Amino acid sequence: MSVEKQLIEHAKQGKLLTHKCTDCGHLHLSTAYYCLKCGSKGFEDVILEGTGSVATFTIITVAPAGFEKYTPYAFVVLQLDNTHLRISGFMGGITTPADLPVGTRAKITGFDDRGIVIEKQ
Amino acid sequence: MTLVEKVCVLGAGSTKYGKLPDSIADITTQASVSAIESAGIDPKDIKASYISNVFGVADKQVHLGPVLMSRLGIPDKPSLTIESACGSGSVSFREAYVNVAAGFYDCLVVTGVEKVTHTGTEWTTTYFAYCSDFFYEGQAGASFPGLFASMARAYLTEFDATEEDFARVAVKNHENGLLNPKAHIQKKITIDDVMNSPVVASPLKLYDCCPFSDGASSVILCSEKFAKENGGDYIEVIGSGRGGSAAALQGREHLTTIPSTKIAAEAAYKMAGITVKDIDFAEVHDCFTIAEIIDTEDLGFFEKGKGVEAVREGRTRLNSDISINPSGGLKSKGHPIGATGVGQIVEVFDQLTGNAGERTVKDAKIGLTHNFGATGASCAVHIFQSV
Repeated sequence: MSVEKQLIEHAKQGKLLTHKCTDCGHLHLSTAYYCLKCGSKGFEDVILEGTGSVATFTIITVAPAGFEKYTPYAFVVLQLDNTHLRISGFMGGITTPADLPVGTRAKITGFDDRGIVIEKQ
Repeated sequence: MTLVEKVCVLGAGSTKYGKLPDSIADITTQASVSAIESAGIDPKDIKASYISNVFGVADKQVHLGPVLMSRLGIPDKPSLTIESACGSGSVSFREAYVNVAAGFYDCLVVTGVEKVTHTGTEWTTTYFAYCSDFFYEGQAGASFPGLFASMARAYLTEFDATEEDFARVAVKNHENGLLNPKAHIQKKITIDDVMNSPVVASPLKLYDCCPFSDGASSVILCSEKFAKENGGDYIEVIGSGRGGSAAALQGREHLTTIPSTKIAAEAAYKMAGITVKDIDFAEVHDCFTIAEIIDTEDLGFFEKGKGVEAVREGRTRLNSDISINPSGGLKSKGHPIGATGVGQIVEVFDQLTGNAGERTVKDAKIGLTHNFGATGASCAVHIFQSV
């Protein structure tokens, strides 16, 4: 199974598949093929809960094709708990910035035609 | 690194930017002919072409190089098309520069072009999202305004800045664009106009965003020897730098800085043997108002978090402390994405050869161009000097 498909399967379960470098321990999203820090190709899978806090976001009102029916919606960059990693994704049901202060707790909950789906906790 | 040849820009030309009726092949040729005539050379002097374009498929024409060369009467000359999203123009210029500097060719045409407005807002928004790290961003509904809006939200959170401050960038660039007859949107606007325009991706509103534009820009790039023997006014390329950043915003250490800009600028300053203080004006990649603020910080004009103050105090207006985007920038001049990086160099050529009319930066000797692809995943910075 391709790295993208593996990540998708975990996201559908509300989890995040990551790769930990077996040489230096640096953690990456699982689409990395070589270590950012040491260049090593050896990784072990680490499955995260996909929880974190909103690092930044936007509320999109002019959407690309396929997303018109969801507007307005948020595109969120989530700072994952206990790691330097971030993950971005789609969040529905957000209409004003007051609905989603930076720092709001959120979690990966699935993957579908909206890509990685993130919801407030 | 030893360069065999000093490299010069000998001629430059652009179509008007905006909604253009002519085909992509037509506007590519129109801009190229205008650059050839500006240089005072014959098409047969051109040894090869570098074309930058992203969405040729939208106007039913890819492989633009041979079409251009055929129309110029030099179908036997080689050509190459380069795609690097919104940074395609400067990246293509860089590859052309390397070839002249290395002595492979003594005279090239570098032409950037885009023709997308006929596809409409929804499809242009969709196509542009293909320039993101699609698996993580476009696939989750991120538009380009949305990605820069995410950076804007981070900037508002981290620094002492307001949405009105962002609006000041738009007002300033529209002031400059009013003086540029080739600008897409020649319209004076106020902070209230920006604040009251429809939200595209909060906190960015319509007037925080550059328009979708059609347009083509072209320059003639040559060795110093060729310039002296064959042409009129020319300017010298004294610095060229490139850099990269993580493709997706999520992978960057800071959400309010663009690493590729810093890397490219450092390389260009080093090659030119100058510092940012020596720059008289800059054409920077202001696809959104927040981008110009971040750019001016990453290029070193202002400290991180202070670019917004400079805008508030009017220090980046034409003929103030540092003239940023005298052409009107992407915001007012327009953003035909494959052409933009070349168009910035056309502006520098016009400025340094005394052809910028009312928007002339006084006593300018050194100009900088900064152009990036997507959210700054790829970047090129060039520095030019009058001769």
